[in-house]
Amino acid sequence: MNDDATLHDAKLQELAQRLGAQAAERLDVERTAQAVLARLRAEPRTAGARWAWIQPAWLRIAAAVVIVVGVGGVARSVFRDRTAAAVAAAGTELNDLSTEQLRAVLEAVELPATEETISAQDVSLDDLSAPQLRALLQSLEG
Amino acid sequence: MSSAEPAAVPAPTDAALIAAWQGGDEPAAAELVRRHARALARFLVGVGAPEADVDDLVQETFIRAFRALGTFRGQCLFRTWLLTIGGNVVKDAHRRNRRRRVVPLPDDLRSSAGDPHEEAVAGEAEGRLAAGLERLPRMQREVFLLRVQQGLEYDDIAAALGTTPGAARVHYHHAVKRLKEYVK
Repeated sequence: MNDDATLHDAKLQELAQRLGAQAAERLDVERTAQAVLARLRAEPRTAGARWAWIQPAWLRIAAAVVIVVGVGGVARSVFRDRTAAAVAAAGTELNDLSTEQLRAVLEAVELPATEETISAQDVSLDDLSAPQLRALLQSLEG
Repeated sequence: MSSAEPAAVPAPTDAALIAAWQGGDEPAAAELVRRHARALARFLVGVGAPEADVDDLVQETFIRAFRALGTFRGQCLFRTWLLTIGGNVVKDAHRRNRRRRVVPLPDDLRSSAGDPHEEAVAGEAEGRLAAGLERLPRMQREVFLLRVQQGLEYDDIAAALGTTPGAARVHYHHAVKRLKEYVK
């Protein structure tokens, strides 16, 4: 039984080693080497690699600009809206407010601006996926 | 005039040739092709490449390998890494030519040495093995060929195929078990 198995393994091994042996013999190795070199010369290897590096790099830079500008704009409009709302709430009767009430109004005006500033600083490009980066770029291009 | 023979220069390692090619030395790339092209051709046939396409597929594999050399970290032998790229090249070629029928190798292209009857029997068994390999899952097929046809170690095979040596061993045993059924 074991002898049969060994014989069978040896046969399998021999067959596997024969597989493709003739194709390998027929292969003109020198011609293959020259053909490979010619193709490598025709399509310089650095071009692809450089493009592959440049593309994500520019994507990231462009996305960073969009995020900074976008978040800044949003923060400014939110700040402006809330300030206007707070001032409107206070209306013309600020004179009627007590010191404590005035402080509360001031805090309400200052707080959102602070929060938005922190949010903008926390934004990281690394948090964005490739599709998100692409979407940002597309939005830049209009 | 000195009659002393020049000392034999040891052949550069694959790693040295790779470094030389990355530094722009074209003959280093050509030497890598000369060194590994035949083993690659055998492997490509083993994973199902039509023999008529072997020349093109060998070239394509080397082109892909040279372009991807930046990702090769020496985790396995260069040859093992190259052969696994060859496996991908054949898979892609199959996908492109899915509708194309594979023409069986004509008898006159088979070895003419030895007893004709023995040759015919061996050729038939070889055909059964090729058919059996085609039916195996890709991982089993590649592990089997890398181990049996190329004589590579499980550690090296596992590193090239992104698996563990233990898993590579299991794939090998499954492959052998199934191939024995086809070949007997």
